[in-house]
Amino acid sequence: MDSIVITRIIAIVGFVIGLLGILVRLRDIMNRPFKNDLARGRGSPLRGVLFAFTLGMAPWEKESTRIHWLAYLRGIFFHVGIFMAFGVLLASPWLSLLPDWLVWIATAVTGIGALFGFAGIFMRLAGPNERMLSLPDDYASVFLTSLFTALASATLIWSNLLPAFYVTAGVMMAYIPISKIRHCVYFFYSKFFFGFGFGRRGVIGQPNGEYAEQR
Amino acid sequence: MFKDKFTDERYQLTDEKTAIAIDVLRQRLNRQLQASLEACVRCGICAETCHYYVSDPKPEHVPAYRAEQLRKVYRKLYDATSRVIPTWTGAAELDQELVEQLVMTAYGSCTMCGRCVLNCPMGVDTRLIVRTARAMLAAMDMTPEGLKATVNVHLETGNNMGVTEEDYIETIKWMEEELQNELGDSSVVIPINKKRARVIYTFNPREVKYFPYLIQAAAKIYNAAGEDWTLSTESWDATNYGLFSGDDAAARRIAGNLEAAVNHLGADTLVMAECGHGYRSQRWEAENWLGHSYPFPVMSFVELQAQYIRDGRIKLDPTRNPKRVTYHDPCNQARSGGIIEEPRYILRHSVMDFVDMEPHGAENYCCGGGGGMLSMSEFARERKAAGKAKADQVLATGAEILATSCHNCLDQLDEVKRHYKLKVKVQNLSELVANAIIWPRPPESKQEEKDQQ
Repeated sequence: MDSIVITRIIAIVGFVIGLLGILVRLRDIMNRPFKNDLARGRGSPLRGVLFAFTLGMAPWEKESTRIHWLAYLRGIFFHVGIFMAFGVLLASPWLSLLPDWLVWIATAVTGIGALFGFAGIFMRLAGPNERMLSLPDDYASVFLTSLFTALASATLIWSNLLPAFYVTAGVMMAYIPISKIRHCVYFFYSKFFFGFGFGRRGVIGQPNGEYAEQR
Repeated sequence: MFKDKFTDERYQLTDEKTAIAIDVLRQRLNRQLQASLEACVRCGICAETCHYYVSDPKPEHVPAYRAEQLRKVYRKLYDATSRVIPTWTGAAELDQELVEQLVMTAYGSCTMCGRCVLNCPMGVDTRLIVRTARAMLAAMDMTPEGLKATVNVHLETGNNMGVTEEDYIETIKWMEEELQNELGDSSVVIPINKKRARVIYTFNPREVKYFPYLIQAAAKIYNAAGEDWTLSTESWDATNYGLFSGDDAAARRIAGNLEAAVNHLGADTLVMAECGHGYRSQRWEAENWLGHSYPFPVMSFVELQAQYIRDGRIKLDPTRNPKRVTYHDPCNQARSGGIIEEPRYILRHSVMDFVDMEPHGAENYCCGGGGGMLSMSEFARERKAAGKAKADQVLATGAEILATSCHNCLDQLDEVKRHYKLKVKVQNLSELVANAIIWPRPPESKQEEKDQQ
């Protein structure tokens, strides 16, 4: 067997391990009780959820992201790069069939994503708050994900890096459920509960009420 | 730091206490809590959302840092990686050092105002995590003395200041007379234990004990609106410090007493005094503590005043409040209850010059008096320091009157005013409204009627 086949198997094994781990995590949280709110609602929880997953994620919407716009945008670009890298991974057996323009876009998006990912490590080291908060797992997770994204970009230029990309992808995917990267699963829960709770109380995502100032 | 503040033996961790705390965590670990414990990426951009951090920017004041203290315990118990390599994921056993850290962060440097929650890009509810930590500490009998005593007094006497029924009724009657004298109208009354009234009203015991003129103000508003209202002697305290201590059993009992009083009198609507946490407790949390929905709606007096103005039930003359007024949103009403537009509507109708502070509404800074801070003398210095963010906001408005609708805020803002030498007068919304009321029948016309008779 050549290195492509062997490393592809490693990636698939990593994917299966990661998927199983995520399923275990999902089963765990779904086995926990959902705290049902018995108080009468004031606003629409659905509008709150919609807001939480759309406009509420805009960089200008929260004071925190307005102040830390650079860190927030870094995170956005990093994550867009990661998603694109997964796209590259899925399309990897047929890379030669992809049109040039798509290859260049994917190369740029993953490349920029990787740069912002590695920058995240330096930002964690540079800021006193971030340094105090960061755990070894944070550095390892950011490094591994950035490397995966960087190799996705590099593989699109130098196809002989494909085995390294597969190995990194396999290791990273297997690492997801046991590391901080699993926030990709819990994010949807916490964002949902955030939108649901604050929406129900009429705090976010609601139209102007009857007492709003007429402008 | 901890040792300077807490010397009592009850703060010593034992195996039995550890087991109790872990059991509390296990019982409270629902989907909402687990999601918040898992989703934080420790980016730290929540830092400036916290008034403690704004007033004293140190890493320990970053909300994520506070939540991490409980996450350490959670990971050690529920995460396989953390059990194998705890240092890799920052997991830790619940030991004496960590318990002390939890007391200092959960009680000492967080008012559970929720500003960080609203600002977290991941939607992490640090407020929920901190309250869980408080619940664990309360179960271990490690609630700071003042806060613990406030809850106990409420449970023992029916209100958190131990006001006797005799004193309560006497104060009400006194305020009724004062109001009659103010208006020259002996027909105005403060009804007590009236059956099947539309509205049953509650007070913060501080109003009865220290600010009776607020009772007078509320009564004036109710009478001007021609409301069918009553007070109860069975249970009348709007506060519920169980919300702050994390003791759900106590919170449940306190909320249940108030529910029983409403049911016994058969009132349609329970109206909470201008008390931020009292409103939140009874409006949003109580039914969940009790495990059933109320047969009656709960609303804030702020909402009711806005309704009266909207419906033309009270007429206001804003020229009676000519000074510049700004408004501090109590976190438990605005961020945790959505009451944001109503106080502004009220102020636009009752004062001449209303100006908002920045930020305001759901984004407002906590004054520093929330979370039961005013009852925890151990953290008084930190509380005053944390009020700097609010002091700077108020100062920037150039206002002469700082209005709010919460007693804890009122007390804290008064201290902030003195500490930072602000030239403002702190007032409740209802005071301003009562002052602006155009009485339906002017006192002089009543006198004329009498003379003619």
